[in-house]
Amino acid sequence: MRRFLRASLRANGFQVVEAATAREGLAQAAGRNPEVILLDLGLPDGDGRDVAQELRRTTRAPIIVLSARGQEHEKVTVLDLGADDYLTKPFGMEELLARIRVALRHARLPVGGSSGEGYQAEQLRVDLSARVVQRDGSEIHLTPTEYKLLATLIRHAGRVITHRQLLQEVWGANFVEQTHYLRVYMAQLRHKLEKDPTRPRLLLTEPGIGYRLRETEP
Amino acid sequence: MARFREYASALLIVLAASLLCLVLRPHLATIDVAMALLLAVVLVASRYRRGPALVASALSIAVFDFVFVPPYYTFDVHDTAYFLTFIVMLAVALIMSGLTARIREDADASREREQRTAALYALDRKLADTATEEELLAIATRHIGRAVEGMALILPANRDEPERELPRWPASALFESPSVRVAAAWAFEHGEAAGWGTPRCAEAEALAVPLRAASGILGVVVIDPGNPDRELPETDRETVLALVDLTAASLERALLAEQSERARKEVEGEKLRTALLSSLSHDLRTPLGSIEGAASSLLQEDGVLPDDVRRELVEAILEESRRMTSLVTNLLDMIRVETGALVVNKEWQPLEESLGVALLRLDQRLSAHPVSTRLPSDLPLVPIDGLLIEQVFINLLENAARYTPPGTPISIVAWPEGGSVVVEVADRGPGIPAGREEEIFGRFYRSPAGQTDGGAGSGLGLTICRGIIAAHGGRIWGDSRPGGGAAFRFTLPLDGPPMQPLPADPAGILGAA
Repeated sequence: MRRFLRASLRANGFQVVEAATAREGLAQAAGRNPEVILLDLGLPDGDGRDVAQELRRTTRAPIIVLSARGQEHEKVTVLDLGADDYLTKPFGMEELLARIRVALRHARLPVGGSSGEGYQAEQLRVDLSARVVQRDGSEIHLTPTEYKLLATLIRHAGRVITHRQLLQEVWGANFVEQTHYLRVYMAQLRHKLEKDPTRPRLLLTEPGIGYRLRETEP
Repeated sequence: MARFREYASALLIVLAASLLCLVLRPHLATIDVAMALLLAVVLVASRYRRGPALVASALSIAVFDFVFVPPYYTFDVHDTAYFLTFIVMLAVALIMSGLTARIREDADASREREQRTAALYALDRKLADTATEEELLAIATRHIGRAVEGMALILPANRDEPERELPRWPASALFESPSVRVAAAWAFEHGEAAGWGTPRCAEAEALAVPLRAASGILGVVVIDPGNPDRELPETDRETVLALVDLTAASLERALLAEQSERARKEVEGEKLRTALLSSLSHDLRTPLGSIEGAASSLLQEDGVLPDDVRRELVEAILEESRRMTSLVTNLLDMIRVETGALVVNKEWQPLEESLGVALLRLDQRLSAHPVSTRLPSDLPLVPIDGLLIEQVFINLLENAARYTPPGTPISIVAWPEGGSVVVEVADRGPGIPAGREEEIFGRFYRSPAGQTDGGAGSGLGLTICRGIIAAHGGRIWGDSRPGGGAAFRFTLPLDGPPMQPLPADPAGILGAA
């Protein structure tokens, strides 16, 4: 895996530092100060969660976890512990590059700052300061909770957010177990904002993990 | 008290008869009086016990002698022939009461047998319905306890270590008595009842009866009569022993069924392994062969292959790899479904999410087909494992794409029905061969009707779907459609953990007016 990653990433203009074990990885992270960290959850000498936690204590660099299918529970835990995004093996280079791009973009933003004024992709346009949501040019009316949910997704645009994180940010810490609230509201958003709610292009479902709003168009 | 009444009634009857005879004396011969008194005796003997019968007999003889036999009003007898009469009366009394006593005893015994049979039948019927060993033992203890008006406890033998003999004693007050433990252990080891009501360890406060079956002693039933000082009637003991035997037979049947199920699973597992090996061998080596071939071609000296050929080879590698991934995914799912290792994490979800993800993943494969979806916007949330149902959609849609001509439509529809949501994935392809509607769900079944995308399916798609849907408590089936094509439907029952109601969300107006 590392061979092809190294080759591809270099070919795309990135500098690559490798580690084969958790210990090596942590050491490299501390020493070389990378801008993005790719963490495979199948490391021989460490539990992905512990490594992610440890990394988070020492660096603010975005962490993208790589994991096999069927490990959703683990991925969610690592994401809640501070990882920023994930990829399911096997994945294509395009996907990886896209995730890295998004991760870097978010990392370069000022602390606490979001995408600024607004969001635009395909038929959707949102003006965050005026709190206006438009679909195909005409204004859409959202309930306060729906708007809050959409705004949260916009703040994380391009990155995955776990159910737990969404519930916490929109409803509060007491509601982190009420996944069906989230699902109902996401369904409402999809119906209001997507052309075809069964084939969403913006409000993407990450099964077993959470949701992802497509990146804003430049 | 009843006895006293019986005696009193006996006396009264005889006296009544005597009085009657006395009144009618001028019209009656001595023999008539004898008959009347005999009748009285018969009456008493037929209704009451031996005691009152004998008393009636004695009294009637006395009355007869005293009042009706010359010399009157003395106990003397002139004609010794009357002795015969007295003897006959006595004999009649004895015989009659003996007969009636036997009849009564027979009737009682018959009733007890009937009761016991009814108890056995009731227990047998209940036991036949039980699904688990625990249920079986619970029902048996109830019935056995009822039979003796006490409480019963069943201690199954320690099955993990058959040599270890004694079952574990429960921590109850009853078992703190050493004599109870001794009785129970003895019963278990020797296969015979011991304790209260039996000659062995009779001082124990409970009765221990072993559960004896053809395969050995399966445990011990310990019965607490509540008050160990009372007697255990013979009939009750018979009933208890019969109930215990019945329980033992049922328990044995349950254990054997369990064993047989385990053996069957092993055989199934074995068959699966064999089938998988042969599948892996062929279905993985084929794409691997293509990949190796393409890769090694690409490594040839530069310039030998034109760019477009190189691109084609690279695309072939990508496609074959994806195919292998799909196959491996299917095989792994298959193993999980078949060996029962499938973990279903149900959450209330809108069906459109799983469908949406599946449609996105298959975007390319479905590009040759117009796909229409019809999910009512008020379709209730369903309790499903999103990933698994996504896999079901993927398998069904992949099949639809693979086996139908390009350009033909594929439709997905869902609607609520009964306590479930029904989902249909339909196409306009060749449909399902008649009579094969069940067969297609079998392992490694591949459609004889060739594939339109040049690729090979694993033959496991529908089998996996069935396993997943079954694990959700639903059903999946396929039919050919009128007008051509196949329609696959599955149900998802709407029962699951209750949902908390949503908090109020005032519909505020946003944005500039």
